[in-house]
Amino acid sequence: MSDPAIEFSGVSRWYGDTVSLAEVSFSIDGGVIGLLGHNGAGKSTTLRLCGGFSSPSAGRVRIFGVDPRRHPDVYRRIGIVPDQSPPWPFLAAREVVELSARLHRVADYRAAAMRALETVDLADVAERPVGEYSHGMRQRAKLAQALVHDPDLLLLDEPLNGLDPAQRSHVIEILSRLGAEGRTILVSSHVLHEVERMAQRVLVLVNGRLVADGSTAGIRRLISERPRRVRIATDGGARALARRLLAGPEVDSVGIVDGQIELETSDPSALARALPSAAREADALLAEVQPVGDDLESVYAYLHARARGQGR
Amino acid sequence: MIGPIIRLTLRALLRQKRAIMLALIALAPAVTAGVYALARPAGANVLDFYSGIVQQLFVPTVAALIALVFGVSAFGDEREDGTILYLVATPQPRIELVIAKVAAAWVATLVLVVPSLVLTAAFALEGRLTVARLGWPLLGVVLATLAYCAAASWLSLRTRRPIIIGIIYILLWEGSIATFAASAAKLSISAYGRAFVAHALPQAARPVTGALTAAVVLVAVVAIAAWGAARALVRGELP
Repeated sequence: MSDPAIEFSGVSRWYGDTVSLAEVSFSIDGGVIGLLGHNGAGKSTTLRLCGGFSSPSAGRVRIFGVDPRRHPDVYRRIGIVPDQSPPWPFLAAREVVELSARLHRVADYRAAAMRALETVDLADVAERPVGEYSHGMRQRAKLAQALVHDPDLLLLDEPLNGLDPAQRSHVIEILSRLGAEGRTILVSSHVLHEVERMAQRVLVLVNGRLVADGSTAGIRRLISERPRRVRIATDGGARALARRLLAGPEVDSVGIVDGQIELETSDPSALARALPSAAREADALLAEVQPVGDDLESVYAYLHARARGQGR
Repeated sequence: MIGPIIRLTLRALLRQKRAIMLALIALAPAVTAGVYALARPAGANVLDFYSGIVQQLFVPTVAALIALVFGVSAFGDEREDGTILYLVATPQPRIELVIAKVAAAWVATLVLVVPSLVLTAAFALEGRLTVARLGWPLLGVVLATLAYCAAASWLSLRTRRPIIIGIIYILLWEGSIATFAASAAKLSISAYGRAFVAHALPQAARPVTGALTAAVVLVAVVAIAAWGAARALVRGELP
């Protein structure tokens, strides 16, 4: 049985007093896997450990069964798009990608470089220095140098940053195709819907902890089923409406804050259906209904709290 | 596969404004020798002047500083902007990456210092220039700058202030302490570089060792520094 592309066993990484990753374990092999988390969640640290640019403070990282820091030969099978600026801005994109091909010991490096540049739609501007590229073009140049040696594993740190919608779709299409071919692609992002478009599996990191690991659909369901807070502003009748809502099964808790109703529900759809009739019965005129804490940070906070509750 | 890395690093090192500044520093001994040639008093001992300028200015300061800057920059610039990841994430053996970087820094240094040494010798010695009087100092400069480049590359992977540490070593240790404490000279790269000069030029002080031993020591410095740098690439934290 072959070794998985990436295997983390109880991996922690700390810098002084700051814990960047805490006892993270997972194994991935094949397909596109999303690494989701807010800024500072530990995504880049995870990718840096995968890329061999850092050592774990505790635990073990294996790429195709070996430690890449001690077995650089494994880089023949790895393509990396780091978060950092593109390499050697004074070189033309063709030179950058050809150099990457040569360093990865690709026999026909010129042909391989042109193929990679065509894949990312940069063939027409391949002779321009990378330093003169727009941000989106630089991202694609980075992707080309990572693809040029036809790697089995791709590590991509926020590869869609700076791309316009058409370019995003194109890159997502490329990554989806590579994943469908059986390659392993670990792609970090803090945007769930981007990851959803290409990944079959998602790892969610919050404050250095792996708080969810599962299918993209499963993570989406988990997120959509979390309790939601809703604020309702009325023109009179707030207390009567709060009492009526609390009596129903849709609402878990209710409070009045600054004259407005704040409630928590596990079933926002049922609440939406019940609210108009409840307002009519309470003689309350609905002025505004809006979700509270529905941003991604709140979603991560919920997943974190949920994971702690499960003893993670 | 070190050829492409050497060429790439040379392009990076020599295309910056810093290279022009270093070229001006490299020319300082030649300019000094040129002024001396124009204003030389009758009966002046040109060998003493040439020996002094090579042993007190060229080897320990000019060549050392240029090698330090290029040696640090070979890895340091890429470490600073993160580009180093693109080299490390390749199947190249780490020692080959280091050899390529040190070689590039060394070639860049020689591009600046060798013409300057030739000009210095030509101006200072005029009709008394011989192969030995140019060759031995040249050998000392070539080997000493290689050792400086290797040590500087190692420093750039081990510390965040390689230039400051290097300058303290060159100016304080080699330029001051080692000049009056004989045992301190044994830990001075420039002292071993100057040991070659003794074969062809008059000496103000006894050289730290013979040329053969100096060559062995400098090659050992290169080997140890390259090994340390490769180890730092394997074990160190990259940006």
